[in-house]
Amino acid sequence: AFFRSIFWVLPLLLVLSPVNSSSCAMGNKTTEIRVKYENILSHDIDELVNMSAEYRDRCCKNRKHENSKVFFCNDTQEVESLQSMACNMLRFFHKQKISRDFRWKAALVSCGTLQVLQCKCERLRKEK
Amino acid sequence: MLRMTQTSTVLSIFILFLHTTFGESGCTSADGDGTFGDDEPDNFDINCFSQLEFKDSYSSLTCNFTELPPHNTNYTLALCTKEDSNYVCFNMEKQEDVYFLQFTDILSNKDICMSSEMKRMVCRSLVVTDIVKPEVPFDINITYQKEANEYLIHYSTPHSWKKYLKDKLIHQIAYRQEESTWKTIKSPYLQVKLLGKNLKNDASYEVKVRSQPNGDYFKGMWSEWSTSKSFRTAKEQHSTESYSSVVVVILSILGFMLSIVMIFLVVTFWENRIKPAVWPNLPDHKKTLEQLCKKPKNNFDISFNAESFGYVHIHKVDGIRAKAELENFLQPSTAPETNLPEKFRSGSDLKMIPPMTDKSNLNLSVTYGGIWPAEALHRLLGTSQSAVTEQNDGSSTYEVCHSNGVPLCDDGFNPSSAPPPDPSGQPGPEPLNGDTVSQVLPTSETRSPNNEEDYVTMSSFYEIQ
Repeated sequence: AFFRSIFWVLPLLLVLSPVNSSSCAMGNKTTEIRVKYENILSHDIDELVNMSAEYRDRCCKNRKHENSKVFFCNDTQEVESLQSMACNMLRFFHKQKISRDFRWKAALVSCGTLQVLQCKCERLRKEK
Repeated sequence: MLRMTQTSTVLSIFILFLHTTFGESGCTSADGDGTFGDDEPDNFDINCFSQLEFKDSYSSLTCNFTELPPHNTNYTLALCTKEDSNYVCFNMEKQEDVYFLQFTDILSNKDICMSSEMKRMVCRSLVVTDIVKPEVPFDINITYQKEANEYLIHYSTPHSWKKYLKDKLIHQIAYRQEESTWKTIKSPYLQVKLLGKNLKNDASYEVKVRSQPNGDYFKGMWSEWSTSKSFRTAKEQHSTESYSSVVVVILSILGFMLSIVMIFLVVTFWENRIKPAVWPNLPDHKKTLEQLCKKPKNNFDISFNAESFGYVHIHKVDGIRAKAELENFLQPSTAPETNLPEKFRSGSDLKMIPPMTDKSNLNLSVTYGGIWPAEALHRLLGTSQSAVTEQNDGSSTYEVCHSNGVPLCDDGFNPSSAPPPDPSGQPGPEPLNGDTVSQVLPTSETRSPNNEEDYVTMSSFYEIQ
């Protein structure tokens, strides 16, 4: 009976656990996030933006923008929005059509963003 | 019963979660693999420093042992990062006595782990951004600013064109005279100034620079010193400046004195020399004429206007007196003629004194004793002669009065009232009219026939001209 009760509660706990559990670290770490962004991550993002200017319209040429996925930064969900953007940008790492330097820089920014936010990508976890 | 069962279930699950959590964190694990092995204290002494953007986007980590390990033991240093539940480590490359590693991620928290064949891996936390060692400054230039007597020291750093440490460094400048103690200056900028007054003149100095993170976010240690640069200070800067200042003062004083002298000279000679030379006076015709013409001796009025002789007092000439003078004049028959100046003789018989008693001749008075033109006299003589012949054959005498105004004419005759043939109608000094003549005639008739005098007035002379 003891073990039966344990196994009965365990699924219950799993069911009762929040479905949309955030993979980001909880807590008020806004100051730490801001400091890391200002001193390190912002410079990498600027470099990535400058590099993307060279490849403007190369990938988007002859494509319909209706199918383009747009990422929004929702109020009170900034961390989740940034996590989503970073994880999606990591998908470019395997696109061979994009230059190697750009892919590496995009991956660096994505990983840096996830590191600052202390988040993980769900799909990467599943893939692993 | 049911409650006890539920309570125990909850407790067991809670214990299970705790175990799992501690196991994944690895906090109590010294070897980092989540197992509770033989934990050894992290008592290995190593010194590490990081260099951001060492090569392109790669940063570097360099470590060395403070105490050399035994030669028989090979140690391995690794930089480990916890990713998810895994512990990813990268072994550092051993280069002589240091361990070196290149990496890209400087945001995540890392551990430096040491392992050996004999010992398990021992790790210690490491924050890459807190052990930053900047690159060495270079290209030191010293420029002397003569006006300010200052030495401008300018240098460069490779981080100026990198992204993380740009404008986040503080620099230390060390300078000294030959083989003396070093003096240091700190500055966040890439140039400093040394005052010349604080340095010795004509001396050799040495300068070097190093950098360090300013501590706002990046922390670390001083970089290596740059290569020294030598320079020599100026010679006798103050004496040169004083000499030039004295020269300037002297020149300014001389210029001031010269300007005063010039002003004085201008004021002094303005009226007499400068102004006539610059603005010459136009000659006045009257004055010029006065200067050109010969002035009469006795302040004689040279005006040709008859009205100007209004002030001249014309005296009536006494007849007897005139006669006496006339006789005296006529006694030498030729003498008067010869004695007379030629200009009087020219033309005609000026001194023709025919014995005529008729005095109906023209009485011409001469009040001007100047030079008579020959033609005018001739005309006068001709006129008088015709008058004489027309009227009577009486002698008519006429004489030219001298300039001294001594009348030689008959008394009662008013020379001023002699009838001048003046077409202009000017009254002359003494206007003549018929009445006067008529008045004169009788007077002259009563006189001696030789007592006719002719006065030629200036107005008549003017008319004749």
